[in-house]
Amino acid sequence: MTRRVPLTPSLILIVGFLTVCPVLMLVLGSFSEGFGSFGVFTVQKYVEAYTDPALAGILINTLIFTLGSAVVATIFALFLAYINTRTNIPFKFLFGIISIIPMMIPHILFAVSWVLLLNPSNGILNRLIMDIFGLKSSLFNIYTLHGMILVEGLLDLPIAYLIIAPAMSAFDVSLEESSKVCGASTLRTLTRVTLPVLRPAILASVILVIVRSLASFAVPSIIGMPGRKYVLATYIYRTISTGFAADYGKAAAIGMSAMAASIVLIYLYRYLTSESSKYVTISSRGFKPALIDLKGYKYPMFTIVGLLSFVLIVLPVLVLFYTSMLPYVMAPSAKAFARMSWKNWIDVIKDPISILALKNSLTLGVVGATLGVILSIFVSYVIVKVRTVASGILESLSFLSFSFPGIVIGVGFMWFFVRTPLYATIWALLIGYIATYLPYGIRPISSAFVQIHSHLEESAWVCGAGRFRTVRRIVIPLLIPGIISGWILMATMFVRELSLSVVLSRPGTEVLAVQILRFAEDGLWGRLSALGIIMIFFSSTLVIAASLLGRKLTKMGIVGN
Amino acid sequence: MKKLVVLLMVVLFAVPSFAADLAKAKAEGKASFYANITAVEPIMDAFNAATGVDGVYTRISTSKYLATVATEFEAGKLTADVLQAPMPIMQTLKDMGVFTPYRSPSAAGYPDWATRDDTIMQFGIEYVAPIYNKELVKPADVPKSYMDLIDKKWFDKIVMPDPSSHATTISWLVGMKESNIFASEDEWMKFVKGLAANKPMFVKSFGPSPGPVESGEKLLAISMPKYIITHAPAPLDWVRVDTLLGTPRGIAIAAKAPHPDAARVFMDYWLSKDAMQLLADKVGEYVLTPGVKSPIEGMDKVKVLPIRQLSNKEIKSWGKKFQKIFFGE
Repeated sequence: MTRRVPLTPSLILIVGFLTVCPVLMLVLGSFSEGFGSFGVFTVQKYVEAYTDPALAGILINTLIFTLGSAVVATIFALFLAYINTRTNIPFKFLFGIISIIPMMIPHILFAVSWVLLLNPSNGILNRLIMDIFGLKSSLFNIYTLHGMILVEGLLDLPIAYLIIAPAMSAFDVSLEESSKVCGASTLRTLTRVTLPVLRPAILASVILVIVRSLASFAVPSIIGMPGRKYVLATYIYRTISTGFAADYGKAAAIGMSAMAASIVLIYLYRYLTSESSKYVTISSRGFKPALIDLKGYKYPMFTIVGLLSFVLIVLPVLVLFYTSMLPYVMAPSAKAFARMSWKNWIDVIKDPISILALKNSLTLGVVGATLGVILSIFVSYVIVKVRTVASGILESLSFLSFSFPGIVIGVGFMWFFVRTPLYATIWALLIGYIATYLPYGIRPISSAFVQIHSHLEESAWVCGAGRFRTVRRIVIPLLIPGIISGWILMATMFVRELSLSVVLSRPGTEVLAVQILRFAEDGLWGRLSALGIIMIFFSSTLVIAASLLGRKLTKMGIVGN
Repeated sequence: MKKLVVLLMVVLFAVPSFAADLAKAKAEGKASFYANITAVEPIMDAFNAATGVDGVYTRISTSKYLATVATEFEAGKLTADVLQAPMPIMQTLKDMGVFTPYRSPSAAGYPDWATRDDTIMQFGIEYVAPIYNKELVKPADVPKSYMDLIDKKWFDKIVMPDPSSHATTISWLVGMKESNIFASEDEWMKFVKGLAANKPMFVKSFGPSPGPVESGEKLLAISMPKYIITHAPAPLDWVRVDTLLGTPRGIAIAAKAPHPDAARVFMDYWLSKDAMQLLADKVGEYVLTPGVKSPIEGMDKVKVLPIRQLSNKEIKSWGKKFQKIFFGE
């Protein structure tokens, strides 16, 4: 379908303004002498960045790390989404929440938890395995590429889950029934019908996780650096931190390759999903997602999923709680348990800056995610339903800020906002957040859009409804799972956002990230863990509220009528 | 409670004399302070109590300090009245014209080398020392010199900031050579190569360096003695070497300070013995103020020397050399 609508240029203008300005500043900075965004023209920064003989090895590590993380996150997400949306496994709602818990944890903390569990010297799990099996040395070493992939994959699992689950839940049962009528087994139906139809969601998940892990800094610095495994983000950090005069222009020059890779991935995604009609499962015939009865496998499957969720997600959170109760980082022992107290919690709760930061972050989370999702609905509509060159440009624009490594994009926003009255205000944070994390809203909504047949809209137009009314009355109710996913992704991200906040936040506009950074830089892991758990509590409240609202709206909707 | 007592003491017995006009400063209402130094809230509280001027503290990490201040200054949006950072950053900002000269009377008695400049006052040294876990390292095994760190018993037991990129660590290693800590350059190189052969674990900066020692993951760290104070009651102690080295810390007033009188009052207070005693007691910093005692045991017997200010070019060049030695690249 190739309809031109006035919506597209308007959105290109809005999204372009949001994302191009900081990136343009970084481009200027990468071609300028000195430390600012404007200076004498030079290509020296590119020459220095791309002639470094170490870069080839760094890029190979980066490729393994990003692809590995995407595969881990997507496979886990597919498994959990299938179990949660398509089977009658007990405690579904709980598994749904567990799947997105890593989204709520500051990445620094999650990485540190895994170091405490699996470091080769005295990791809690390693010691336990050594004691049980009488081993002389540790079985696992977290300080490896495999360790980095596992932790980054788990951290990005919510992104993959929140893209795949809505698509999984909006699945037309008749496709699977047809397959079974033709004699296919449940497994064959899954691999030959279900997964191919989910291709847009799976690809969207893979691409988003690749881009996110490319920009990730916490895992590469906390797990990669000690293991001497450097990837692009830590290579950039090395570049800017060698010397007291951090050259963000040179960092931006290296970051350009991450941005280029992201744009190539977006076009690859559009090419691979160009025949969008193949993925439509909601048409005017009505549909009802069917639940598969696990029968005798119900409780064994519950045990497997429960155990997996506990070890991979709940255990690191328990380690956080354990750390928050201690005066300093201690391996578990009788002495450690004897020294437990609520002191770190009291320190955090009594700290006026922490309370102000919590208030600001929650406001930014709720308001920012709501505005971000509204914008994402329109952008997704154009990207999916108006497949023109302009919509391709719009999709690329939405990824511009997102695809830059976090330690660089914040400076790009600073260089931009300092030239506006918004500098050092809460509005700068709000705009920066929405501009950078727009793909978190767009991807789940787009994946849901892909599955909605245009017959539905055409029927509405025939009946005299305008485009806006059609979107409001027909399309949005069908998009509820995708909208809720996008809102959750954005809100939880905004509550714990670090990259932009550390540059743009000032006294009075402190956010949780500012406190996180303070505690992390001072090595105060107890207070940091306490604040992290408080963050998880508030983020969980937002997620549960959004999920319940989503359920209510879906029941009130017109699906299937 | 302790905080209240400290504040009360400051208000009742220790009001420093201000060369600057306190009445004008009060009229201006606040002094904005940009710093990379950690946990200075006790000093800010004491300043507010002592002067009635609101001290507003903006903490900026070292890696973003120069970029942030330079960007704000060039755009005419620098809101800082007083700025504090490691000397190499302060020198770059001074060359850009960010500061205005001011000689504070509170700096009387500081070492000559610290007050030689008419603009940047040096008040402390970001000192580096080997620290260890005193519960896990037997007293007989505790290193007694820098050279002891290259003993094979410390193989895979040391944590330190990445010596190929962390500016302060690079400066520290070079400072060891230039300050004649070792008998000869060959001895220094033996130390560097021996340290590398012990395969230390690298972290990105000093901040994460004490954690693995506290938890017992590692036994020794090339770190900062101040963590003995800020991480108390963690079982940390420092190796009793003869000499410690570090990067000097500087403080200066912004050329276009929005609150110039409050800026001078703040600078006077910051350099006073009361403020510096708080910095030593609460933050564990090494300060140059005469008469200020460090609460860290044994610190009164050690020589603490400032490292020569290395240029960015030198730091990058040494970083590459250390990368070859420590990473074998």
